[in-house]
Amino acid sequence: MNVSTLDATTASTNSRTSEESLASSLKDRLNILRSAVVEAAHLLPAQGPITAFVHHNTLHALDHLTFDEAVIKGGELFSCHPYLPEQRYREKLKHGRILPEDIEAVLSEDLGDRGDEFLGFLGTRHSLQLNMLAYPLRSGPVAELRWVVAETDALSKFREETTPANRDHLIETTRRWVMRDLRNGHPPAANNIRARELVDGILEHFDKPDIEHWDESTWEDFTLHLLWFVCRDGVGNAPLQKEIHPASSRHRDVLLKATGADSDRLVHEVLIRFCAAFMDQGFGSWPLPQAGGFFESFVALYGCPYGPPSLWMRGLRAELERIQKAGLTSLESIAESLELLGVGEKEEAEFLVQTVLALRGYAGMLWQLECRGDRVARPVPPDTLFEFLAVRLILDRLAVTHVAREGIGYQGDLRGVRAAVTEHAQSCNVPSVDQRSFLIFQLAQLLGWSPETLYQLHVDNWSIVLREVEEFSSVKRRSIYHRAYERRYRLQALDAMLVHAQRLVPQAKLTQFAGSDTPAFQFITCIDDREESFRRHLEEVAPQSETLSAAGFYAVAMYYRGAADAYFTPLCPVIIKPSHYVVEHVAYSQKQKEHLHRNRRRTIGTVTQRVHLGSRTFAGGWFAALFGSLASLPLVMRILYPRATSRFRSLIGGFVQAPSATELQLERTEDPPGQSNGHIGYSTKEMADIVARILQDIGLTHNFSPLVIFCGHGSSSLNNPHESAYNCGACAGARGGPNARAIAQMANDPRVRTLLEERNLRIPLETAFVGCYHDTCDDSVAFYDLDQLPLSHRELFDEVQGLLGEARRRNAHERCRRFRSVSLTATPDAALKHVESRAEDLSQARPEYNHATNALCIVGRREWNRGLFLDRRAFLTSYDPSQDDEERTILTRILQAAIPVCAGISLEYYFSTVDSEGYGCGNKLPHNITSLLGVMTGAASDLRPGLSAQMVEIHEPVRILFVIETTPEAMLQILNKNEGIDRLVRGEWVQLATIDPYTSQIQYFVRGKFEPYTQESGELPEVASSADWYRGWRDHLGFASISPSKRAVQTQ
Amino acid sequence: MSTNTLFFILGIAVLVCPATLVVILGLPPLVGRPLSEKTINRYAYAATVIGLLASLFMLAMMLVVGTRHVPIELGNWVIIPQQHFHFHLKFIFDRLSIPYVILSFLLCGTVSAFTSHYLHREQGYGRFYVCYSFFLLGMIVSSLAGTIEVLFFGWELVGLSSALLVAYFQERPAPVINGLRVWSVYRIADAAFLMAAVAMHHLTGAGDFDRLVGTGSWPDGIAVMTGGQALSVGLLLLVAAAGKSALVPLSGWLPRAMEGPTPSSAIFYGALSVHLGAYLLLRVSPLLEVSVPLAVAVVIVGLMTSLMATLMARVQTDIKSALAFASLTQVGIIVVEIGLGFRYIALIHILGHACLRTLQLLRAPTLLHDYHTIENAIGGRSTEESGFWGRRLPRSLQNWSYRFASERGYLDGMLDVFVVRPFQRLFQWCDAAERCWTDFLSGGHSRESDEVQIHNEIVEELRL
Repeated sequence: MNVSTLDATTASTNSRTSEESLASSLKDRLNILRSAVVEAAHLLPAQGPITAFVHHNTLHALDHLTFDEAVIKGGELFSCHPYLPEQRYREKLKHGRILPEDIEAVLSEDLGDRGDEFLGFLGTRHSLQLNMLAYPLRSGPVAELRWVVAETDALSKFREETTPANRDHLIETTRRWVMRDLRNGHPPAANNIRARELVDGILEHFDKPDIEHWDESTWEDFTLHLLWFVCRDGVGNAPLQKEIHPASSRHRDVLLKATGADSDRLVHEVLIRFCAAFMDQGFGSWPLPQAGGFFESFVALYGCPYGPPSLWMRGLRAELERIQKAGLTSLESIAESLELLGVGEKEEAEFLVQTVLALRGYAGMLWQLECRGDRVARPVPPDTLFEFLAVRLILDRLAVTHVAREGIGYQGDLRGVRAAVTEHAQSCNVPSVDQRSFLIFQLAQLLGWSPETLYQLHVDNWSIVLREVEEFSSVKRRSIYHRAYERRYRLQALDAMLVHAQRLVPQAKLTQFAGSDTPAFQFITCIDDREESFRRHLEEVAPQSETLSAAGFYAVAMYYRGAADAYFTPLCPVIIKPSHYVVEHVAYSQKQKEHLHRNRRRTIGTVTQRVHLGSRTFAGGWFAALFGSLASLPLVMRILYPRATSRFRSLIGGFVQAPSATELQLERTEDPPGQSNGHIGYSTKEMADIVARILQDIGLTHNFSPLVIFCGHGSSSLNNPHESAYNCGACAGARGGPNARAIAQMANDPRVRTLLEERNLRIPLETAFVGCYHDTCDDSVAFYDLDQLPLSHRELFDEVQGLLGEARRRNAHERCRRFRSVSLTATPDAALKHVESRAEDLSQARPEYNHATNALCIVGRREWNRGLFLDRRAFLTSYDPSQDDEERTILTRILQAAIPVCAGISLEYYFSTVDSEGYGCGNKLPHNITSLLGVMTGAASDLRPGLSAQMVEIHEPVRILFVIETTPEAMLQILNKNEGIDRLVRGEWVQLATIDPYTSQIQYFVRGKFEPYTQESGELPEVASSADWYRGWRDHLGFASISPSKRAVQTQ
Repeated sequence: MSTNTLFFILGIAVLVCPATLVVILGLPPLVGRPLSEKTINRYAYAATVIGLLASLFMLAMMLVVGTRHVPIELGNWVIIPQQHFHFHLKFIFDRLSIPYVILSFLLCGTVSAFTSHYLHREQGYGRFYVCYSFFLLGMIVSSLAGTIEVLFFGWELVGLSSALLVAYFQERPAPVINGLRVWSVYRIADAAFLMAAVAMHHLTGAGDFDRLVGTGSWPDGIAVMTGGQALSVGLLLLVAAAGKSALVPLSGWLPRAMEGPTPSSAIFYGALSVHLGAYLLLRVSPLLEVSVPLAVAVVIVGLMTSLMATLMARVQTDIKSALAFASLTQVGIIVVEIGLGFRYIALIHILGHACLRTLQLLRAPTLLHDYHTIENAIGGRSTEESGFWGRRLPRSLQNWSYRFASERGYLDGMLDVFVVRPFQRLFQWCDAAERCWTDFLSGGHSRESDEVQIHNEIVEELRL
């Protein structure tokens, strides 16, 4: 839609009706544009501000497709890898992490009936593809391949994987063929004329007269030469692969290809600075002078005279003035830009998608701030994304004009740029003859296709060979490898669970809780994979205990403000919008002291802020710098002795810290829940609901121990912009301690217990609940409200605390096996010290490994997997099917939270691992925090959502496997009722299996239905303790049964 | 052992430590035996600690003996009597160089300890430390240099290593482009430096600073030149210093240099490298006394830099650029102090600023954590809607100056348009002329390179 011509037409025609129809068509046009842009916006990264990092499926926008389709589609859209590189899978094959049988099984499943089709000398399709998977097939750009052929021994030595039999076969048949048909003297048969030419050409480089006395290596050399030329000849005659229409339609892409000059570099430099300033949440001390929205602010700024001298921006002011004068809205401006760029309506949608995605980090953040303004301090006005796009297209036009002029001397209309440039660059979307021949050349060596066989192939047969080989492309091979990789882990996991459960059966009643029916204490953690090892170690040091788990917000969805906090933070999964507020107060008796401390804190805070900001200014900086030498002391100390320095700091920090004696304002006296005084907290009934819900979820409705501990978790680290990603996922990237404290306080309330009793949930009088907080980085455990613990329980509590201390040490020790900077021979004490210093170390790029290696989620009773070594790879959710109703209400609500959250974590890790630069945020070392919202790489780049390379370096990208203790029928029923879960499961974004509560039969969900799983192996190592299994080992570890009885046997 | 021998041994130790480090870290990878992370750390640690101790001991000795000027002579390495040229290897320990050397060892050592954790498991670990060792050597050599040639040698090592570290993440285009830009600006500075060296030889017959700024120990030297001579040499040195310390109009590269890993940004652009230009001016400061116009020029350049940088620092929205411009503000002030003759204040300013800024840059990734702590302490985010300038300027001027600051004072653009482009045009013209001639002489197409096609076919692994 050309707006200027539109004006002209309206002026010339005076008829009202045509004016109206034009106006309405313009309106339609803009509506189409609007929906196209919104459509494109859904593809933008959905990560919000980095301060509340929530893991989610990176390809969330494509989750209506199946996983395999989506990774390909995503790969095209974002130019990213769909799977790991082939090389990585082959390494796993070498190390036994994938077995040949896995590949075979996956391939058979993938090919189905097509696998048995016989393809002449290629064998069956199944065997061909299996062979192609067995060896690395090299490829590369044409120039590289030519170099390989000309300069390496590729044409003189068989590939080392070639079997001697194949090698001899190839050499012998060639020798025979050449000696028989292709030597001078005998006139060649008609079909051998070309072969004769080839051979003659090659023979020029060999000692022809001596051919009868050539040794083996000369013949090898000759055979390979002949093979190569025959391949090239055959491929050259075969029809070209169908040319795929180039995906890129942006002018920038076309120009970049042709000239090597990138117009986006120019545009982004301006746009990045402007977007960052526009979204700034309070970093810059001189905020952007805002004039309405994005577009208007931009016009106001870049419309003033005496602009930047850069050549490409010279026309910017005039252009902006023209647009301003014409009074174009952002959508109209987009329409005009599309028209001026010569983008037709057909390609428009695709063009807009690519344009929006070109700076997707910033565009995505603008979109997030626009849609979820409640999550940030300074949201942006609606329609910002349209305005962003309008500005971007104006800049694009200028930059493209400039680059086209400088690069190829193009002066004409912008509409013709792409056509003009295409003349300069040849299309190369299809593999060249060299690339195709080299593939066949390698396969021929590996599979023993002799030059003669290939030479005799008819053109049609060549097409078939090429089609078959190329159909099984690198992407396809990687997908097979990937599924084989997942299969191996899945079989191991399922087998381990079966074998372990079988082992437990005979001893189940005997040893439960060290001989007693009621555990000495119950410890409830988050389902987080990092708590798996902590629980396991606790159970090992305290066999008399029971551990349970539930999503770490413990059903207490709240906005929480700590005694020393400035704001309310939501503590619940992102999908829930809490309606209750909870505030922490300093204990009443400490008020006076706290008042003093608060003032001191405020003073120190203000001074710190002044120094922080002032040191960057003219005079303040001068003053700060004169005394700057004093900064060298903390600098050196913090870096050389992080742990000691932090101890020292907390020692002197004592006189400003919020007193540890605090209390929660948890009960509200007035309706409805809100932020003001009487409305803060929950009513007794609401508390009873929450407590009942969480106890039913974990199946703790009887058999209460005297002491029940709820444990929230979080993580603290320094120099880590992604700190919040390490916190509790069920608390939306915040620390879950207050939730544990709140639930314990609620469950201790006698009025709540009375209400519960009315619902047949009797908590014995002697049972006391305690909340605590586990820091997964330094492995510390802190308790809340201990003063309220009854005197009668203190002895037990002291004992528990001792046991937890031991569990901490062991947990730290197990974690340290993954840190390469810690010796494998370190003692548990040294390990604990190490993790403590890690959290305080400014120079530590990996405070902990977070969810890396997550692969499994088990929903069911702990008794069946207690003592199974899961290597911190499993989310564990407690669920007792015997307490659930026919409708599976409890399971449904557990899965409604567990499947999306765990799948989100698993998939974010998957994508950030397979393409760290594309889907992840790359290397964290050059990260640069921007606008308090996200990180850029280096001095200026797009915002980088996703996980850093350091976070995922030990991750093994597999789709998470859910093993749920229920029946397939019940599971299918849940799937049918819950669209979100159904989409993830049926789209194969997660793997799903059920384990029958009574028969332990496992059923695996495959292609839309459950199929019984047959146990593959009955072997499972048995060791006395976790340490006996993981000790001395860095890399991946398999499953093992931890049975303390083993120790008794050993000592005897 | 006489005091002089002891001085000599200590002086040599200070120099040998970084030089040995270069050899130890640099040679093994060249012969295909890269060192392990642990070994690299141990050597880097040893070199900085021994160097630091030697220089501290040197300082103590000088205080005890009461001398303020210890030259270490390593003889004339090149003598061309006809041209009155000699290349004199000479190092000076005095009130200027000793603090700077101690600072270099201290900060380099700390940053090395930081890096050993920070770059753990990084592919370019060894490469980083090789560049680091070159940098350390360059810093020590240029701070101790007693002749302009020696200073140039160290100066070049610093420039080379910093450009290479800007381009440390060589697999992405931006660091490489920015590294090249830094390198190009350094070339301008180096050209000026070389011309200054030639001029100095021409005027004084030697490159020794003694001849230039008199024999008195720093800062009491009295220049032996006339005002005119001092102005010409001094202006060239000012250009050299402007390139190295990112003074106006060559400031554009400083924020772009924040591409490397955080510790290298800290040590180079927060601390040592960015002050090297100011250090050079301090070294030749007696010249400023001789020529008032020179002193005025220095003050103007410093003041301009400082004012522009403080304006630009205010509009930055990312922590590293903000710190880069904050650094620049102080460097500008330091240059002003030098121009005004406050040499000790300038020296103290350099030392304090370097320590402070290194700490701030190393802590840069903790920004969110720190903001959170501060907000909790003072009970909320400061919600100032318009900054200091916003309240005082009329709207249009405000827009203009905001854009001016946001576009980094147009400095890069002006360099591109007024310096780079004319050269580019000239070379393009020459190229066209050459093509005409060769085509004419060969009677047809003479450029084989024109035929070369761009290889942009997709590799199989990337084909979806």
